[in-house]
Amino acid sequence: MSHDGTIVAQKIRKSFGPKTVLKDINLEIASGEICCIIGPSGSGKSTILRCINGLETVDSGVLKVNGEDFGYYETATAYHALPPKKLAEQRTRVGMVFQSFNLFPNMTAHENVMSGPVLVKHADKKQSAKRAHELLASVGLAGFGDYYPAQLSGGQQQRVAIARSLAMDPEIMLFDEPTSALDPEKVGEVLAVMKDLAKKGMTMVVVTHEMGFAREVADSLVFMDDGYIIERGDAREVLSNPQEPRTRSFLEKVL
Amino acid sequence: MGSIDAALKPRLRLRTRAEYAGWIFSILAGIGILTSVLTNPNFKWHVVGKYFFAESILRGLMLTIFLTVASMALGTLLGLALAVMRSSHVKPVSIAAGLYITLFRGTPVLVQLIFWFNISALYPDLRIGIPFTDIGMAVDTNAIMGPITAALVGLTLNEAAYMAEIIRGGFSSVGKGQIEAADSLGMSAGTRMRKVIIPQAMPSIIPATGNQVIGMFKGTSLVSVLGVAELLQSAQLIYARTYETIPLLIVASLWYLVMTLLLSYPQSKLEQKYSRATSRLPRKAKPVVLTDPEGAAR
Repeated sequence: MSHDGTIVAQKIRKSFGPKTVLKDINLEIASGEICCIIGPSGSGKSTILRCINGLETVDSGVLKVNGEDFGYYETATAYHALPPKKLAEQRTRVGMVFQSFNLFPNMTAHENVMSGPVLVKHADKKQSAKRAHELLASVGLAGFGDYYPAQLSGGQQQRVAIARSLAMDPEIMLFDEPTSALDPEKVGEVLAVMKDLAKKGMTMVVVTHEMGFAREVADSLVFMDDGYIIERGDAREVLSNPQEPRTRSFLEKVL
Repeated sequence: MGSIDAALKPRLRLRTRAEYAGWIFSILAGIGILTSVLTNPNFKWHVVGKYFFAESILRGLMLTIFLTVASMALGTLLGLALAVMRSSHVKPVSIAAGLYITLFRGTPVLVQLIFWFNISALYPDLRIGIPFTDIGMAVDTNAIMGPITAALVGLTLNEAAYMAEIIRGGFSSVGKGQIEAADSLGMSAGTRMRKVIIPQAMPSIIPATGNQVIGMFKGTSLVSVLGVAELLQSAQLIYARTYETIPLLIVASLWYLVMTLLLSYPQSKLEQKYSRATSRLPRKAKPVVLTDPEGAAR
């Protein structure tokens, strides 16, 4: 599979029952771009991430991830859902980090990191173990491999979760409010790992309330409200000089 | 006041009059029941002793154990299949499993047992083959469906319905986030079930299954109506001859009690094993380090 790392969304709509959470979303993210999505709760920012990863399906519109139609294949008249195997294959190329970590509690940190390569890609166990070791070390958790998630702090769990996603060698990493469930003093250690990752040229889409992180690391910033993308531009520019009144009033409240 | 340092005096808990009354009443009642049981000659404890290890009783016990183990094992496997079907997104599959569970939980197991024993009235012979063709084979139902087979089929099919609900309950106790994490890694539904959902569902499935085993052990006494010489029927066969009804029922009851007590030991062991994931101790018993030196350095 060739390296791509791009995301293209055109006229995406998504409803949950009577409630439309995404209304006409148009977004292009380039390979290696670090894009932060901000906005009030209920604005649809998490839903976008979940669509890019296939946890939700879009109702209409075009969604291309890594250059391929995601979860569907296109014919002259319709988009047809892909069989589970194909969808799973596409998903292995997009890593997802959740607000509540979602580590597997029945596996040690090391087994969690190995779970993707061994259980999904059926990779060699020894090599995967070695790789898992390196990945844990790279997120600052060397020596914590034998601990179960319940024995780790929130910040440590989230770093294990990042390592678990990285073990699949994804082209794109999605972060859904990765620091929102953490004690304030643990936020820094997770952001540090994400900054490391950003330097390595990974495409990253980060839904966050950490404006400091957005200012320091992000290439672009997306402000969402009520299912629409209100403003998109250079992260530092939008933060210091928002063009839209709604962006301005939101930033006034959070900054 | 007093010779002990006030700071060192023991603190005694409150004892109410109800507590003393409770003790006195329980002890008196205990002595009363015990004297009555031991001195009433109609209990015929010597008869209990005589038959406790009687060969036919032990053979009955073996059959009871066999029926319990076999129908529990088969019932659990079938129940697992039903639970997976019930949680399926494919509607007809889920509905079929739901109908099965409703039917078998909604009718008495005693009726089911008698039904399977008399199945030949409905289907005099059983055919395996391709519908609307002559290809296949047929056998006389009565030749297959003896009392023990009927007992096994009845108990298994009934147990499967209950196990299906227990297992499904276990599945739904696993958080949605776990399924999403597995999906986002690209796990197949089968791997997700085996490596993520089932291991986490176990702690809630095991205790309930232990209860089912104990229930099944005693429930096998129902198959005595089919003339299967399990523990109860073996006792009945003896007292039908000797009229020593109560002593032989005591023999059977004591065996049920002993086996139930023995069964609760592996159950608690299994519970411990599956609670490992939530235990706070590392598997290799490393000391828990609460600070993270490398993380702190970041």
